[in-house]
Amino acid sequence: MSIRVNLDRVLLERRMSLTELSDRVGVTIANLSILKTGKARAIRFSTLDALCRELNCQPGDLMTFEHGPGEGHDED
Amino acid sequence: MRALGPGSVSSFLKIILDVSYYVLWIWVSLLALVTILVLLLSFNTDLLTSILPSELAEPLAKNGPGSAAALAGWALMSGGWMAIVERLRKIFATMTLGDPFHPENVRRLRVVGGILAALEVGRYVFAALTRVLIDGEKVVDGSFTLNAWFSVLVVFVLAEVFREGARLRREAELTI
Repeated sequence: MSIRVNLDRVLLERRMSLTELSDRVGVTIANLSILKTGKARAIRFSTLDALCRELNCQPGDLMTFEHGPGEGHDED
Repeated sequence: MRALGPGSVSSFLKIILDVSYYVLWIWVSLLALVTILVLLLSFNTDLLTSILPSELAEPLAKNGPGSAAALAGWALMSGGWMAIVERLRKIFATMTLGDPFHPENVRRLRVVGGILAALEVGRYVFAALTRVLIDGEKVVDGSFTLNAWFSVLVVFVLAEVFREGARLRREAELTI
């Protein structure tokens, strides 16, 4: 997938741990790890909304699109 | 109507599957045993005439190997049904655990479709063979039936539906 998740960078900038974010947004650490490592297939608007509110950022700060070899195709 | 638990349609189906499975086990075991007995007795005509009246012993000795082949065919076909029921039980077990779109169920359904197709082809072969082996006697109807092939098609279509279900399940698992 060509979407890169920058959650680790945003967390570092906010000096916030994954555990703290998990408590604030109500998403399990396991699921946040999946998101952080780029293994997630989709993200709910409600999750994105909670992340942006707690991290005080825009959706674009959390993820970026990168041209790559798998562009336009899902990796199964 | 309840989907799961006591009194539901699924519990009723589960009982049918369980009973069918154990009945088929007994049936296949008995058939295999009778096949071996018939085969052994047909080669020993002296023993046959000593334990059976001559009017029964003679045709059995004459058609013994053919009858044994026919019985073995029946045992094989029953084994196929048993394999189908066994897979249906496993599919049902995943459903009762709340995970019907388990990826393994796709393979199970494809196997069921394959066995159904093989059983149908086997029936044609079996009917032709028994007619040759047992003096032109018609033991099994070997005529073409559209219903059987339609069932095979239905199972393969369901397998594809389950494959899509399994894909959606995998996606849902990785939706945050």
